[in-house]
Amino acid sequence: MKRISIVSAVAVAGAMVLSTLPAQAADPGVTSTEIKLGLSSPQTGTAALSYGKLPKAMKAYFDYINANGGVYGRKIKLIARDDKYLPTQAATQTTNLVLNDKVFALVGALGTATHTKAYAAAQLAKNNVPDLFVNTGFSGFDNKTKYPTTFLVLPSYAMEAKIIAKFIADTPTLKPQASFLIAQDDEFGIDGVNGFKLGGHTFTKAPTLYPQGGLSSALAEGALTALSAAPGKPVLVLMGTTDTTATLLKAAEKLSLTTKFNWIVGSVGGDANTLLALGVKSTTIDGVMAASFFPDAKDTSDEYVSQFMKINEKYNPGVSFDNVVLQAMNSAMLTVQALRAAGKNLTRAGLIKAIEDKGSTFASAGLAPLNYSTTSRVGYNGYWFGQLNAKGELLPYITGKRTLYTTDSTSTSAPVLSTYERKPIPKNGIPTN
Amino acid sequence: MKTTNLKKGLVALTTAALVATFAVVVPSAARAAEPTCSVAPLALYNVANVTTCTGVDEKGSKYEIRMPKNFNGTLFLYSHGIRKSADLPPIPVVAPTGYKVDYSAQVAPTEEVATSLLKQGFALAGAGVQAQGWNLTEQTYAALLLSQEAQMKFPKINKVVAWGNSLGALSSQALAEQYPGTVDAVGNLCLSDSGLAEITMAGDFLWGLKSFFDPTIKATGYSAGTAGYMEMLGDIQKVLGVLVALKTALAINPTSPTWPTTSTVPAAYQAIPVRSAILLLGLISGVSTQSMTYDSASGPAGASETTFGLVLSPALAVLENGAEAAILAIAANYDMEIRAGGIIYDNSKTNYATRLGDDGDTYAAALSGKTYTGVLLSILAASPRVTADPAAVARFKQMYDLQGKVTVPTINLAATADHITPPGATQHFIDLYDAQVAKTRAGVEGASQAGLVTTIWNKPSDTYSTFDADGKPVTPTVAPNGTMHCNFKTSQTLLVAKMLAASAKSGKSPSASTVKAAIKNDANLFVDPNYRAPLLKYRQ
Repeated sequence: MKRISIVSAVAVAGAMVLSTLPAQAADPGVTSTEIKLGLSSPQTGTAALSYGKLPKAMKAYFDYINANGGVYGRKIKLIARDDKYLPTQAATQTTNLVLNDKVFALVGALGTATHTKAYAAAQLAKNNVPDLFVNTGFSGFDNKTKYPTTFLVLPSYAMEAKIIAKFIADTPTLKPQASFLIAQDDEFGIDGVNGFKLGGHTFTKAPTLYPQGGLSSALAEGALTALSAAPGKPVLVLMGTTDTTATLLKAAEKLSLTTKFNWIVGSVGGDANTLLALGVKSTTIDGVMAASFFPDAKDTSDEYVSQFMKINEKYNPGVSFDNVVLQAMNSAMLTVQALRAAGKNLTRAGLIKAIEDKGSTFASAGLAPLNYSTTSRVGYNGYWFGQLNAKGELLPYITGKRTLYTTDSTSTSAPVLSTYERKPIPKNGIPTN
Repeated sequence: MKTTNLKKGLVALTTAALVATFAVVVPSAARAAEPTCSVAPLALYNVANVTTCTGVDEKGSKYEIRMPKNFNGTLFLYSHGIRKSADLPPIPVVAPTGYKVDYSAQVAPTEEVATSLLKQGFALAGAGVQAQGWNLTEQTYAALLLSQEAQMKFPKINKVVAWGNSLGALSSQALAEQYPGTVDAVGNLCLSDSGLAEITMAGDFLWGLKSFFDPTIKATGYSAGTAGYMEMLGDIQKVLGVLVALKTALAINPTSPTWPTTSTVPAAYQAIPVRSAILLLGLISGVSTQSMTYDSASGPAGASETTFGLVLSPALAVLENGAEAAILAIAANYDMEIRAGGIIYDNSKTNYATRLGDDGDTYAAALSGKTYTGVLLSILAASPRVTADPAAVARFKQMYDLQGKVTVPTINLAATADHITPPGATQHFIDLYDAQVAKTRAGVEGASQAGLVTTIWNKPSDTYSTFDADGKPVTPTVAPNGTMHCNFKTSQTLLVAKMLAASAKSGKSPSASTVKAAIKNDANLFVDPNYRAPLLKYRQ
């Protein structure tokens, strides 16, 4: 091409820029006086009815720690963004937390669909952003290759299903009954279905699955009517969010079927306070069986509950104390221990290593052990079984004593009776590890 | 849940009969000649004393050069985005008054941008390429010839900035890579990925529409000559028919809309809300779940707020975006097949379940659950696939593919919700460049130096959907910044232009602090080396 030479005189080399690598900068979100943490969770919308207390309860605990010297002199600043429990919004808000707010780590993110999308969108793995104590039981987050910075806190749905399966098998009044499962048709429910298979439990008919938010009152009534044809007092396991549990229980009220079933409600959908707030009658929840890895949030004899209640009263005034607040403060306390374990020279890599090395020894309100290690991102791995009373208190089933079983998410091994004894709460609820 | 009003949510669609008497227009060859110049104020734009030169290059492409009196030495050499390669009769939405292939020269993304740059003393040039459609080779060559012509005509030009939109950006980058030394800086606005990557995205969506909703859509393998042209027009009509049916169904019952009557999916499967099928097509093809009306986050205040954002909004966004993607796929397939002499699009080995990936979990609720998702995927798995013509693909691949060989400061501006050139196209270019830099660090001669590429991302506001007092979604009269294709504000384009001019002059990329200072007042722009956009599905 004859004319190329005319312009090719523009020197390529002249436009080249030699660059040098910048000196390694400190991780974002940490100064000598502050640690910035981020939380994406629903603060508005219908999901906020169940989980809306999470950010303020975590902040309350951090404020309490800040008032008592912080973590090695650094105050914790929690930046909470509202994702409405929507995947797209969770991705946006988590990205905002990482890129705009420059948080050091994420804490307490909530939801499977939301966090799956958020984790990828915000490039948490690439940026090595610690992703602490995620509030979902989806066992897939225990994949260290895919989620190298994530630490779960809740036992998996599969673990829960295996332990429910054992509970049914071990309970003479339940074992001979027909059994049914109504579950969310996503990773939540599928994890549960897989857990029942691993636990050797076969339901009388194939599980009734529905998409999240897709179980209307009419559908709930239809499902219950169909299942009520079974003789006796069938076991009906519900693995869904609390609003769906409420829809089903209210449908049972309408159909006068509340006593037809032995209700077993999964931990995610079994918060009594929320059920009552959503309009379920106290007489309906009286007798509902549920699994938990925590003490009951109304059990003031529990040292963790009582300490967290005090903190909630002072730093989160006007907010009633329930399972969500308990869970939030517990995760906040785990976070403080993790930050302390990472030492004064705080780095993201150091924080992740600290949890891997020492996380299983952290003090916690949970009655099941924590399972963090270099190979495991599993938090709690066990449940005890209880029965709600009309006040919404979860009391040990029949025996009056909590019996806790531990298990895993992947094997057919039977759940094991746990002898774990949790650590006492640090003095005044302030970790000194 | 309130009934969704989609009258504004989708551009009005009708199935009015198409006039079917058009023939393919073949541009006449033009002879290279000296440009004709005239000096006059551009009164319309209040720019004094601009010399405007027009001409036709040796390949027949029209060109235009605008030279202001207060010329500062830098020429902005613009390459326009893709244009349709065939005339169209009046078709609602697609070409309401008909379409004649546009061979006109274009010197800047918009006349507003052109005016501002001229006032600042920059010269402008741009071609109207003699062959439209996916004309990467022709457009790159036209830009090369125009650059030379402009410098011969105006020897005072001492710096050349190549920039373009979409396919034009691909052409600008190709120009810089293929002919190093030709330009001093490159601006890639809404950079397109390669033809195969782009046709895979649009083609998958179109093939999905065919599989779910109307198997008589041809989609690929258009016949030669007039017969093929008629087939292409027929496809447009059928796709519009499907879109109208979907729009109508969603307007009547957004929660459980019915399937189009043209669908041959078994009736039992049509119990699945058709909105889930629409969303699935968006997710497997990579069409954005954020559109000008729907942000996949907001809902009308009240009980259905969360449900709308969770279940409806992503599907509605895909439908709004996908309408354009499907029409583009028809036009592009038609053009590319003529160009290459056979079928280019290929999904013979595509595993759509793998394609869906984690999105199947993320959007489980909107997809009506894992069970129904499996059913929808099984329908696609059983649908007849398309196998490309290897010889045609080989010919098509003779077009230049970006290598990431960057020798001059280069600035990307890419929108995170662009539904035609998704941000993954720019990410792919960044990856190519990073690989070149890694080669340099490994001692390979001739690879790229570090620090030459700057990327500015353009994102929509966190939430932007609005609803009227009745809770109905309202389509904005102006598309929210960060949504739609190449929908940049004039200020954003000029901001990039200013940095490009400075970079061309200095030979250096703008510093991070310079870029941050430049964008600090624009909440829709951000730069962050740690941000990574997902690649197009073709590359995943």
